Amino acid sequence: MIRAENVTKIFGPAPQEALRLLRDGTSKDAIREATGHVVGVDDVSFSLKPGEFFCIMGLSGSGKSTLLRCLNRLIPMTGGRVVIDTEQGEVDVGEAGSKALRDLRTQHLSMVFQRFGLLPHRSVRDNVAYGLEIQGVPRKQRLERAERALEMVGLGGWGPSRTSELSGGMQQRVGLARALATEAQVMLMDEPFSALDPLIKMQMQEEMIKLQHDLGKTIVFITHDLDEALRLGDRIAIMEDGKVVQLGTPEKIIIEPKTAYVADFVEHADPTNVISAGTVSVELAHERVDVLRREGGNRVLAHRTQSEVEIVVDDDDHVREVRADGKRVELVPIDTLLAEEPPVARYRDRAAVVRAERTLRTLLEARNLVNLPVLVIDDQERLIGLVTEREIIFSIIEKRGRDALQEAAA
Amino acid sequence: MNALLTDALFDPIRIPLDQWFANFINWLTLNYRPTFQAMKVPIEVILANVDAFLQWLPPLAFIVIIGLIAYRVAGWRIAVFTMAAFTVIGMIGLWGLTMTTLSMVLASVLVCVILGVPLGILAARSDRFRGALRPVLDVMQTTPAFVYLVPVVMLFSIGTVAGVIATIIFALPPLIRLTDLGLRQVPADVIEAAEAFGSSEREILVKVRLPLALPTVMAGINQTIMLALSMVVIAALIGAGGLGRPVVEGLNALRIGLAGIGGVAIVLLAIVLDRLTQALGEERSSNGA
Ligand SMILES: Nc1ncnc2c1ncn2[C@@H]1O[C@H](COP(=O)(O)OP(=O)(O)OP(=O)(O)O)[C@@H](O)[C@H]1O
Ligand SMILES: [Mg+2]
Repeated sequence: MIRAENVTKIFGPAPQEALRLLRDGTSKDAIREATGHVVGVDDVSFSLKPGEFFCIMGLSGSGKSTLLRCLNRLIPMTGGRVVIDTEQGEVDVGEAGSKALRDLRTQHLSMVFQRFGLLPHRSVRDNVAYGLEIQGVPRKQRLERAERALEMVGLGGWGPSRTSELSGGMQQRVGLARALATEAQVMLMDEPFSALDPLIKMQMQEEMIKLQHDLGKTIVFITHDLDEALRLGDRIAIMEDGKVVQLGTPEKIIIEPKTAYVADFVEHADPTNVISAGTVSVELAHERVDVLRREGGNRVLAHRTQSEVEIVVDDDDHVREVRADGKRVELVPIDTLLAEEPPVARYRDRAAVVRAERTLRTLLEARNLVNLPVLVIDDQERLIGLVTEREIIFSIIEKRGRDALQEAAA
Repeated sequence: MNALLTDALFDPIRIPLDQWFANFINWLTLNYRPTFQAMKVPIEVILANVDAFLQWLPPLAFIVIIGLIAYRVAGWRIAVFTMAAFTVIGMIGLWGLTMTTLSMVLASVLVCVILGVPLGILAARSDRFRGALRPVLDVMQTTPAFVYLVPVVMLFSIGTVAGVIATIIFALPPLIRLTDLGLRQVPADVIEAAEAFGSSEREILVKVRLPLALPTVMAGINQTIMLALSMVVIAALIGAGGLGRPVVEGLNALRIGLAGIGGVAIVLLAIVLDRLTQALGEERSSNGA
């Protein structure tokens, strides 16, 4: 959907020269000392799938806003390429003529700004309708669509007000509504929720998730809030000094930070929403899972720390039955367990089954209700691993998954 | 050689700039007078129509209309003051001359807006154009009006139109400057947002820059009006009609009373126009802020 290849932006009067220095390996500080040029974005590449939610994080001044502006050429790149897919085919943003660029901006990309960028001489409604006005949508229609967008951000009825009468958080949502109103397929969002209170922020996050799900929007989303990035992002890019130092799924970034900078960044993250059951679990082949014996064509397995619990699996790794202290127990999907009202703790007489992509938090919650090993299955219902207290505690303390656990166990 | 111009030290290296000026103006007059006369025509048309309308309008109707306008843009206090001011002007016998002055002011401001706003827009778009324009504007603003009265008369003949042209030269610069300033002051993040939604340059100008610059442009128009009024007496020296005439005549014949009432009418007109245009600018900016 969006492809960035070696995107580089250098601020200053003769950026090409500075670019040569940069490519030759001169450090950014040296370039600034020698030529006064500031390297904003340094050789960033990534490729986004349609419908992907892509978060960009990094300290202040690390180049997030600059990178975002390169995507729609609000800032012309010094080097590299940005290619965006549209229904009319691929558009090379850097090479696009002024007409093509304007089409791209009116039809395919919409943007939310860190500093809102509202038009102070217009009413809230006319601000929200601005993009539609540029698209050439007739007045009546665009005011209707503006009103709908305002309702989505919880500002229904504020249309006739002046933007100056609104609080900062409300103005930010007007900016959000303006971007939503154009119904562009790609949304570029520069810290769009930074001025919102936690409650509204949560609502807006849900709204974004819904948009991505229902309308398949591709979203590039800058944020300073790690929990927000972990919650929303399919993938997260961490920027330092103009470079992307790590790009990956939230889980990967938490459990395998590539540099000390990234590790610092994610240190205070709550891992329970991010790390998956699959990652936490100990696989069947691991030495902590014993094969006790065979029963006909089936294997009888047990977790080493809970050997009194026997799990019978067939050749395809489908679970046949589970026995605790010789008694057969019931297998219950974890959601059924958690949905019980009131919750019933039956620690020893049923076993929970969970899909590998569910989170550590789900496992934690279920832990109050059962204490037999949790059975982790894949999308074909095959058993792929077991989770006991031990794995849960380890993964929380270490913010790591299987690999680290295996090292620790070894 | 003129006795004003001798100085023993510099006589050997004296430049006959006065001659050059005279020659240049003579040359212009000789070769381009028809062109300049043709330039007069649009101004003449505007002026004649506005003046005819104002002279035709019964004073009472004028007072009611301007009172209503003042009430709408500036509230009832200024409306009352405006109506009182024009009543006084009528009572001191200067109604007709005041209408002529008003039409001269309106005509010069109209021409100033027609010329000044586009020039201001160009200046805001291009630093080079602005750089080239700046010294010209400086010269226009600082040259004493008396200096260019003679060339103006030579090129355009005497009369009210020549007075309007002299007024335009004097009153145009602040409008250009303030238009330029207002357009440049529009916050970059607002323009960027408009760009991000695909606005063309023209759309940015019309939908973003100009509306946001309007209060500043209005301040420029206000200044232009004030400068135009300050030229009324000077313009009368080259045969322009209106309130300058009683002042100049009073001056020549030492009729203090005549000059005095001319002054009173000019001041009243100035206050009224100032308050009205200021209120207009404030109204825009309070809507806009
Ligand atoms: N117009 C500009 N001219 C010169 N340097 C610039 C310009 N814009 C940004 N920079 C520089 O580029 C670098 C990256 O800035 P950018 O605004 O992209 O940071 P950011 O990651 O968005 O920070 P923040 O979290 O504070 O918004 C900074 O060092 C900044 O000084
Ligand atoms: Mg930023």
